[in-house]
Amino acid sequence: MATLPQPPMPVVWRSETKPHKFCPGCGHPLVLKALGESIEELGIQDKTVFGCDIGCSLLAWDFFNLDTVQAHHGRVTPVIVGLHRANPRLVGIAYMGDGGGYAIGSQHLVNAATRNEKIMVLLVNNTLYAMTGGQMAPTTLPKQKTETSPYGREPETTGKPTLGPEMIRAIAPDSAYVARGTVSRLPQLKRFIKKGLENVVSGKGFAFIEALSLCPTNWRTNAEETWKFLEQDMHGYFPVGELAPEKGEE
Amino acid sequence: MADKPIVGEKRAFMTGNEAVTWAALAAGAHIMYGYPITPQNEIMHYWTRMAPKYDRGFLQTEDELSAGFTCIGGVLAGKRAFTGTAGPGTILMQEPLSMAEMMRIPMVTVICQRGGPSTATVIYSQQETRLTCFGGNGEGYRLVYSTAGQQDLFDYTIKAFNVAWKYRFPTFILSDGYQSKMREPLTIYDPEERGIKMVETEPLLGGTGIPGVDRDPRHLRNTYNMEDELYQVVMDMDQEYKRIAPEVVEYKAMETEDAELVLVAHGIVSRATEGAVRVLREQGYRVGHFRPITLRPFPGEALKEAVAKARRVLVVESSMGQLAGMVKEELYDLSVPVTGYFRPGEGITAEEVVEQVRGR
Amino acid sequence: MHNKSEVSHINGKDVPVVEAYVGEYAGGKSENAVNRALSLLERGRQVTLVDLDLVEPFYTLRPLKQKLEKTGLEVLTWQTDETIGLGEAGYPLRPDIRWALRRQHDIIIDSGYGVEGAKTLNLLEGASQHPYLQVLAVINISRPVTGTVENIIAYVQSLGRVTGLINNTHLGDETTVAVVQEGAKVVTGAAKKLGLPVVATSAVEDIGVRLGTADCMGNPVRKIKRYMPEAFW
Repeated sequence: MATLPQPPMPVVWRSETKPHKFCPGCGHPLVLKALGESIEELGIQDKTVFGCDIGCSLLAWDFFNLDTVQAHHGRVTPVIVGLHRANPRLVGIAYMGDGGGYAIGSQHLVNAATRNEKIMVLLVNNTLYAMTGGQMAPTTLPKQKTETSPYGREPETTGKPTLGPEMIRAIAPDSAYVARGTVSRLPQLKRFIKKGLENVVSGKGFAFIEALSLCPTNWRTNAEETWKFLEQDMHGYFPVGELAPEKGEE
Repeated sequence: MADKPIVGEKRAFMTGNEAVTWAALAAGAHIMYGYPITPQNEIMHYWTRMAPKYDRGFLQTEDELSAGFTCIGGVLAGKRAFTGTAGPGTILMQEPLSMAEMMRIPMVTVICQRGGPSTATVIYSQQETRLTCFGGNGEGYRLVYSTAGQQDLFDYTIKAFNVAWKYRFPTFILSDGYQSKMREPLTIYDPEERGIKMVETEPLLGGTGIPGVDRDPRHLRNTYNMEDELYQVVMDMDQEYKRIAPEVVEYKAMETEDAELVLVAHGIVSRATEGAVRVLREQGYRVGHFRPITLRPFPGEALKEAVAKARRVLVVESSMGQLAGMVKEELYDLSVPVTGYFRPGEGITAEEVVEQVRGR
Repeated sequence: MHNKSEVSHINGKDVPVVEAYVGEYAGGKSENAVNRALSLLERGRQVTLVDLDLVEPFYTLRPLKQKLEKTGLEVLTWQTDETIGLGEAGYPLRPDIRWALRRQHDIIIDSGYGVEGAKTLNLLEGASQHPYLQVLAVINISRPVTGTVENIIAYVQSLGRVTGLINNTHLGDETTVAVVQEGAKVVTGAAKKLGLPVVATSAVEDIGVRLGTADCMGNPVRKIKRYMPEAFW
C-alpha cells in the first residue's frame, strides 16, 4: 500500500503507538506535538518524566518516547511533585484536563503553585468532561449546553467559568511562569510550553500553561463551527497570552 | 552531614512514633511525605528534625490524598519513600493506596489507628484493621504488619522497606495511638551491623538512557479497556501474592499445644492477652495465645494448627470484630466456635481478659 | 529528704519558687514538675501547678487534676470532659494559665515539648520580666536526641532561655543506678560547657535511695514517684 508523505514529527513521538487514540479533530494531539517539539529542542528527553491524568489526557499514556505514568483523576500533579521532590534532576510534566486541574485536583494545583514546585502543569481546556461523555466542567461557558447543563450553564447557580491561569498567577510566586495558549495559534503555544519547561529546568519555579483546545465530538460541531467556538466564544472569555507578575505600586 | 543515624546498638527510651522515625532513618528511607493528623504527628515532627542532618527529604502536602500520591511519585523516582496517617486520613489515603496496589508500588505507610467512625478519638483503637488490609476498590494485595510496641515498631519499620522493595506490594505498619504515644525502652540499631541488608531500590521512571533511543520508554498505567485484560492483571497479581505469602507470613503462638481455649489478638491488644495467658496458666487454665503479626497475608495455616485442640477461640480486639471476621474466614471449615471480646475504641487490659475467660 | 538549698531566701525573706520544666517529648517534664510541686507542698508552701503542654498532649496533667488537688495543690489545667477534640482541635490556652505568673506563691510550670522550646513560656503574662522564674531543662540521655554531650548542648541551646539542667536519665522499668549515674556524667559534662548548673538528678524512689543524697557528680538527688503512667488519657 502506498503511503502518503507524513509531516515531520518530533523524535519523542512514539511511532509504535500511532495512530493515536484521540478523536478526529481533537486538540490534544496538537498540544502534545507542541510539547514533543519543545522537549526535543531543549534536549531534555533523557530526563523528562511525563504524567497524565484521567480523562482524555490518559490517552497519552503511551504517546511519547518518554517515561510516563498515568495517575488517578486530579492526582497527576502530586505524583509528579513527589517524583521531582525525590529526584530533582528529573523534569516533571503533569498533563491534565480542566476537570482534573480545576475541579477534582484543584487543591493539588493550588498548593503546587503556592509551593512553587519546580514542575510544569500543562492543562488542556476544552470546556467540558469529554471522556465521560460531555458533562459540565468548571470551564463550561455561560449558556453552553452539556449533559449536566442541558438548558445551558447558568452562572447564577453553577458559577462562572474558572480562569485558571489568572488564579495561578495570583497565588504563585513571581518566579513562576504562567500562560494561556490556544491550539489555534500553535507556534505561540509552543513558545509558551518551551518557556515553561525552561522555567522548571533552570530551577526558577513552577510553570502553568493552559491550552485552549477543541472537542468537536462533545461540542457536536463541524469543522467550521469547531473553530468558531474556539476562536470566538472561548477566546472571548479566556484571554490568550502570558501572565506576567503584576508590578504595581509598593 | 552526620554519618549513620545509629551506630552499633543502643538501649533507648522513646515513644512509638519516635521509634518509627529512627527505624526509617536507620533503614535509609530517603523521603517522607505527610499531612498532620493525630496520633501520627510526631513521626513528622522527629523526621523533620532529623532528616536534614542525614540528607533525607520531607514534603508536607495539602492533604492525605497528596501525601499518598507524592509518596508514589517518590517511589517511582526510585526512592525509599514513606508516609504515615490515621483515621480520616487513612480513608483519604485509600485512593493513592489503590493505585499503589494496582501498579505494585512499594510504598511504606504507617497507620496510627484512632477511634472511629469519623473524627472520633485519637488513642485506643483497632478500627482501621479492615481498611488497612482491604481498603480501596481492590482485593487487598497489601503486606500488613501489626506491631505491639516499640521494639516491633523499630524492627518492622526496617523490615517494611525491605519487604516492599523485594516483593513490590504496598507495605504497612499497623500501629495505633497508644503505641504512638506510650514510652518504653527498646534497642535501636544499625540494620547492616545486624546483618540486615537493605534491598536496593531502582528508579521505575527516569532511569538512565534516552527512552526510545537507548531503551524502551517505561509506560506505567492503571487503566485498562478490556475486562479480560484486567482479569489477567488481577489474576497474575493474585498468583504472585499467594506465591510469596508463605515467605511473608509471621505470627507468634504461645502455649497452644494443649490449649482448650485459644485467645487471638493482634497489635497492642496482644500484650494484654499474652499477659492474661500467663496469669491464667498459673491458675491452671489451659489457655493458649495466637497473635498474627502479618494480617495480610494472614497466617491461616498456623492459626488452624494453633486451634487444633481448642474447644473455643476467643478473639480480643479494640474493634467490633474486624479481626474476628478474618479469623472466622480462616477457620470456617472447623467446628471450633469463634467468640469475641470486642471493645471498639477502648483499651484492653490483661485483667479484664482474665476476667472474661474466668467468667465463661 | 529534700535538699534545703533548693528553696532560696533573700535577706532572710522567703522567695517564691517559680520553675518551668522544659525539654524533650517524653523526657520527663511532667513527672518532675508534679513531684517538685508536691515536695514544696509537703513543706507547707502554697503551690500552683500549671499545665502548659500544648503540642500533642497525651501524658498530661489533665487526668491527675482531681487526685492532685485533693492534696491541696492547685492545678491549672483542663479536665478532659471540659473540652473537646483533644489532639484534634488542639489545646486551647486557659485564661487562668495565661495569668498564672501573677500569683505570689510557688508556681511550677509543666511546659510541653515543641520546636519553640522555652518560648512557649511567652504565653504567660510577665514571663520575660519575672524576677524568680527558673527554666529547667529535663534531660534523659536514653533518648537519642539528647544522648550525648554534643546533642544535649545543641538541644538546650535551641530551647532559648534555660537556667539549669535536670538529669532525668532512665530506661523505664529497666532503670539501674548505673544508667542514672551515666546520665549524671553526660548531663554534667554538657552543663559545664553550657555554663549552667545541674539542679538535680531525679530518680524513682528505690533507685534514689541507692544513689544517696548526691549522684556521682555531686548533684543533689530528688526522689520522685511516678504519677504519669496514670495520666494517659
